Amino acid sequence: MSTAWNTFYRQFFELEGYKNFLVGLEHTAIIAVCGLLLGLIVGCLLATCQMLPKTNGLIKALSKAADVYIALFRGTPMVVQLLLIHFVIFPAIGINIDSVIEAVLVFGLNSGAYVSEIMRGGILSVDIGQTEAGRALGLTYGQTMLRIVLPQAIKNVVPTLGNEFITLLKETSVVSFIAVVDLTKAFQNIANSTYEYIIPYLVLALSYLVLVLLVTGLIRLVERRLRASDKR
Amino acid sequence: MISVKNVYKNFGPKGEIKVLSGTSCEIKKGEQVVIIGPSGSGKSTMLRCMNLLEEPTYGEVWLGDSLLTPADPYLHPEVIMASKTFEKMKNADPDREDADIIAEIKAKDLLKKHEGKAYRAALKAIELESRIDINLARQRMGMVFQHFNLFNNLTVLQNMLLAPVKLKIMSKEEAEEKALALLERIGLLDKKDEYPSKLSGGQKQRVAIIRALVMNPEVILFDEPTSALDPEMVGEVLDLMKQLAEEGMTMVIVTHEMGFAREVADRVLFMADGVIAEEGPPEELFTNPQNPRLQQFLQKVL
Repeated sequence: MSTAWNTFYRQFFELEGYKNFLVGLEHTAIIAVCGLLLGLIVGCLLATCQMLPKTNGLIKALSKAADVYIALFRGTPMVVQLLLIHFVIFPAIGINIDSVIEAVLVFGLNSGAYVSEIMRGGILSVDIGQTEAGRALGLTYGQTMLRIVLPQAIKNVVPTLGNEFITLLKETSVVSFIAVVDLTKAFQNIANSTYEYIIPYLVLALSYLVLVLLVTGLIRLVERRLRASDKR
Repeated sequence: MISVKNVYKNFGPKGEIKVLSGTSCEIKKGEQVVIIGPSGSGKSTMLRCMNLLEEPTYGEVWLGDSLLTPADPYLHPEVIMASKTFEKMKNADPDREDADIIAEIKAKDLLKKHEGKAYRAALKAIELESRIDINLARQRMGMVFQHFNLFNNLTVLQNMLLAPVKLKIMSKEEAEEKALALLERIGLLDKKDEYPSKLSGGQKQRVAIIRALVMNPEVILFDEPTSALDPEMVGEVLDLMKQLAEEGMTMVIVTHEMGFAREVADRVLFMADGVIAEEGPPEELFTNPQNPRLQQFLQKVL
């Protein structure tokens, strides 16, 4: 065992594997966090398109478009979407950007499809009486949504959104398909530097576990803050 | 103050569930009107049609001189006369009285969507003259719900301030002064910074009532305000409503509290099968009911 650790020490420090590790960690964090933020924005927009009262043709069309979007992004694997963007769509339209940004885009757009369903569920979970009370006072649909329904909906969806974030964080391990060095790729490189796999991959697993535990703690904290108005 | 004119309300994807079938009523300023009736008779739907929480399928709702719903062609002879259907029937039989043709069109529901420019212009003219934005109208009518519907994410005071301040009906200071005075009046000043989940049912409903009052409404609609309350809390809510009635607030109340109806109402409307089956002052309606449905109903509840 001690030789295995010695090898890992050599891999990590003498062969400068830690540099790889830091780059991987940075990319994983960027893709997960930016992906989630983009996903939140896209998801809220999609949910809005679907939930606006269907009073005119434009809203009906938007709602249909959102349905199609969600079907497409939930219906195909993330890896396939990454490959399509990186090797097919962007080259075809002549866009040449950093692969990390491509990954953020794909993760954000993909996550948006899930977040929109989560948000929709959250909004539907708020008693219709809250909306009626707001409207009966003369508030507009938008004001009622913004001031009354959404704050309660968000509180209801924080645990589920947390779940989505954790899934997203772990899913980043597929970005090496488009040659982004993330945490997984970094440890693959470290392992390959001497062809000793056991410790690097154990440490890799441990790294994800620590990240997820950190995120879980953060979500709990946010949840507790938001639950202030529920204390009986 | 509120006029409900020949309102129909159908529910369901094809409108197969008919809840209101041509109801009309008139609420006068300063009047307290109580609506009673068996469950499913359409009392709540009628009340909710008054502030358009339910949009009538046909018919019109007016608040004073302001039309809240789209104009209903069947209620305006001049609109019917501008329609192609009227023109055709008139051409077919030029000697026939206009009123007679109008009556036939109404009775047989003959107007269709494509009645031509003149028809649409006549409808539009009515709406241009009288129709107002529903949000503006709702600011003038308060509503109190069976399940209170206080905003769960806001404190008691925030609940009361949100609408008047956000809608710029009064300044924040003014609204706050008014809200605090009302809270003091109902003895809940010490609860102003609590969230609704900490209040009892009776307290919630009293806060809901004064939340409507902060807006200086011209009329308050009550949708079974005591039906979700524990029996010992019904009294405190009814007492507050009685006070409002004595102060001359215009009120429309859907309730099962017959004792309250008797004591407070100027007029009682009895609804059955989606129409007002009988109406009158409470003494008369309760002691000498004419309609057999009402007699049956009173036997069960009194």
